[in-house]
Amino acid sequence: MSLALDVLLALALVVLAILTVAGPGLFRAIVMFIVFGLMMALAWARLGAPDLALAEAAIGAGITGALLLGAFRALVRADPAKRRAAFRRPSRLALPVAVLATVLVAVLALALAELTPGPGTAGALARAALKDVELGNAVTGVLLLFRGYDTLLEIVVLLAAWLGAFALRGDEPPAPRTESAATVPLLDALLAAVVPLAVLVAVYLLRAGGHAAGGAFQAGAVLAAALVLLVLSGRLRPTPAPDLPQRVLLVLGVVVFGLLGLAMLIVAGQMLAMPGLWAVYLVEVAMMVSIATTLALLFAGAGGLRRAP
Amino acid sequence: MSMSEAAAAMLLLLGCLFYLAGTVGLLRFPDVHARLHALTKADNVGLMLVCAALALLSGSLRVAALLGLIWLLGLLAATVSAHLIARHARRHPEAHR
Repeated sequence: MSLALDVLLALALVVLAILTVAGPGLFRAIVMFIVFGLMMALAWARLGAPDLALAEAAIGAGITGALLLGAFRALVRADPAKRRAAFRRPSRLALPVAVLATVLVAVLALALAELTPGPGTAGALARAALKDVELGNAVTGVLLLFRGYDTLLEIVVLLAAWLGAFALRGDEPPAPRTESAATVPLLDALLAAVVPLAVLVAVYLLRAGGHAAGGAFQAGAVLAAALVLLVLSGRLRPTPAPDLPQRVLLVLGVVVFGLLGLAMLIVAGQMLAMPGLWAVYLVEVAMMVSIATTLALLFAGAGGLRRAP
Repeated sequence: MSMSEAAAAMLLLLGCLFYLAGTVGLLRFPDVHARLHALTKADNVGLMLVCAALALLSGSLRVAALLGLIWLLGLLAATVSAHLIARHARRHPEAHR
């Protein structure tokens, strides 16, 4: 029974991936991409990786899907013919490349299946390091203790992505929403229920990140989703540039993580070491805030946000 | 198979039936309003039945309460999005063919 489910899931993923890159139109491709993300989250959950499943559902399907839909709307506004435009026919090389890639993956998977893990692997070292800071969640441990440089640079990449979007946006004022949704009474009920719940879920995910599935990226994405909802419903308006508090929020993750890392270089002689559980939570809170702010500003296509009058 | 498992299986099957009916309606009905009607009504009941079945299977009050919360949130999201789509369709019929 569970094998049937896995096979169905794998087949659905392949079909959805094909429809995403070679489907009949842009809008459908975006919808297929979102469904692909949700199916991928299910696949991660089936593989016993709830952290990845959460991240995939929140970032891969949710925030990225919202970003793509926003980009599609801007594209159609600039050139209405694009709404009906079909994809170009795939190149003749597509099929041979796909076959070769499949063979490569199969060969690698076979080679991987024959490997036996030796003693003192990276995983074992990471697990041993977890005990020093009383961290229960191996994923958070690997992200912060074992590959701190990668995690720090991921936050930097996110900040750089926003800076790039900010620079490209130019002096154009942010596009106004075509129809103000602010007058829909039902929307108030939705916001009143969903926004506080999203904050609660984000804090829970952050807190849980220490001992169970969760962490800064998932929590930040959930928080960003609440902000996206507020932008979509017109409660938050785009502004040309971030004000001072928003600038602080944007760089908080990089600054806190970087400063702590430097301090540990001086104190303990090791860059980006974590002195304890409190440091892990401190870095995670700062990263969550920065991730949420950056993703929301990227979605709004704006320099900053302010409350609607 | 115990009583509760049999009841859960019945509920699951019934829920899937509602989902199937809603999907068929979404694909076959002629206009936006009819499609929304099929989708939201049938899927809300389907979700309720599936959640009830899973709550029975779990046998834990905490999980049952969480599933109930999930159903309520699904209900809220479906209601509001259906309302927004229907409103947009009524004011801009040209955008919905």
